[in-house]
Amino acid sequence: MLNQVRKSALLPEEKAGQWVKSGMTIAIGEPAPMGLLRWIIRNKITDLTVIGSGMALDYLIAGGCVRKVVTYYAGSPDTAVMPAFRSEAENGSLEVWECEEGILTSGLEAAGKGLPFMPWRGGVGTSLPDINADLKVIRDPIGGEVLIAVPAIDIDITLLHASISDSYGNVQHCRGTGWLDMFLYRAADRVIVQVEKIVSNEEIRSKPWETTISNADAIVLSPYGAHPFYSRGYYVQDQEYIQAYLEAIKAAYSKGSRDDKDDYFETHCNRFQSHAEYLDAIGMGHLISLSEY
Amino acid sequence: MSSPATIKELMAVVLSRELEDGDHLQVGVALPVPEVAVRLAHIMHGPNMQLIFLGARMNVHHLESIPLPTFGWDSRSVRWAESYSDRGHRFDQVKAWHKRVFFVGGLQVDKFGNINLIGIGDDPKKLKFRGPASVGTPTLTTHVGRYYIVLNNHTSRVLVSECDYVSAVGWHEGGTDARKKLGIPGGGPKLCVTPLCVMDFTEIEKRMRLVSLHPGVTLDEVKANTGFELVIPDIVPTTLVPTEDELTILRSRVDLSGLLRSR
Repeated sequence: MLNQVRKSALLPEEKAGQWVKSGMTIAIGEPAPMGLLRWIIRNKITDLTVIGSGMALDYLIAGGCVRKVVTYYAGSPDTAVMPAFRSEAENGSLEVWECEEGILTSGLEAAGKGLPFMPWRGGVGTSLPDINADLKVIRDPIGGEVLIAVPAIDIDITLLHASISDSYGNVQHCRGTGWLDMFLYRAADRVIVQVEKIVSNEEIRSKPWETTISNADAIVLSPYGAHPFYSRGYYVQDQEYIQAYLEAIKAAYSKGSRDDKDDYFETHCNRFQSHAEYLDAIGMGHLISLSEY
Repeated sequence: MSSPATIKELMAVVLSRELEDGDHLQVGVALPVPEVAVRLAHIMHGPNMQLIFLGARMNVHHLESIPLPTFGWDSRSVRWAESYSDRGHRFDQVKAWHKRVFFVGGLQVDKFGNINLIGIGDDPKKLKFRGPASVGTPTLTTHVGRYYIVLNNHTSRVLVSECDYVSAVGWHEGGTDARKKLGIPGGGPKLCVTPLCVMDFTEIEKRMRLVSLHPGVTLDEVKANTGFELVIPDIVPTTLVPTEDELTILRSRVDLSGLLRSR
């Protein structure tokens, strides 16, 4: 008898998290799937190559998980340069694949389209191809222009945060996806999407044009899972939490104190057995205060 | 009478006067002076301007006030938008970018307007100061019709004879054909606005040239704080201060929280 049951994509966080192995190349979307990132830190996954930006990227670096970053921007409106990124890049322990937004999207597009490279003009004349030997300055065979050949950026697992999904991995983002989400999805072997809410297949089928990802490999139910970041239609960014992170990590690195850094992660990440325990610690009152209005 | 403009307010007004109705004005994150400038210009003289913040495009000329959220990672910026392009189409229409105006900062800027956001130090694998990386500046400055360099500090450590690394090409090694020789189509940097002065680029060599000194700033002060030889014209006027009207609109309809009044 053949198995006639359609497979569910729903997985508990720890099951999906276990797909991520030390040494892999992972990508993090926007807003960042912080529930999954906290799982990765808690479970001491190391030597990752991470495609990401801003504080979420910095969080994984400070958490001890990252060997190499592919990033176009490691700053934010709150701080010129992210503290863990800055310190570890300056002391040489973190490798940086120097790029910019157009070069990054070109490499991701090449991967998604199964091409060895994609040409791009932004970056011609800059130091980027000098610093990053993977970027090749080429002459285009049609018109003879000088361009940059960006190699395909292949990803083992992309981790995203979205609004809703049904149990089969049909994902819909409220008010559009994050900037790179679709590029990261198309360039990856597998995608894990954590969502605010699981909905019925009927609800998805009532508006199929809103489906952004139609076959996610795993769906993790993670309400408030982007905290301290925003989730469109649900909550806004927790500015105080982010500010406190930046101050604590900046201070820990400038003191050269591993203990201070470990303390931060013990308090805010490692002591929790699950995402639910994390939310308990943040507190329902505080979470409600972040409701989008 | 309002209290006199702060330097940041002055810089925002200088930029706003440069912007023309019909411009497509793109401002990235962490650039409060250009954020205020584009909103001010939109109210003052730009009913057909399009404001572009990350993926959101908006025309909010009809609004009584255009307040400043921290646009960076606040998804509510989308509420004012008429379109939102974040399904990855942000770089898919560079053909139309000749209408687009952009703003950049930099860790270092040289006399030809090349900028560095990568870092400072000889060894790129172990920089003495690691910068935030180039964001989208290489692509945007390659294609936009014109852009403005806006600096928070005017010192000889920022305005340097040569950048350690180049994130975005301005006039490369100089000359009107510098960009053309590289195959970079956009119009290049137009002005460099700092807390001390306004600068542009000479017509033939494309070297940075003093345009005006902000009130109370001396020529010697600018020379002493610039790490290369600036072209100094015979007559250097004082930067025109904001009018009462500009300042009132800036404070009461744009910068309601006083972001540019502090410091």
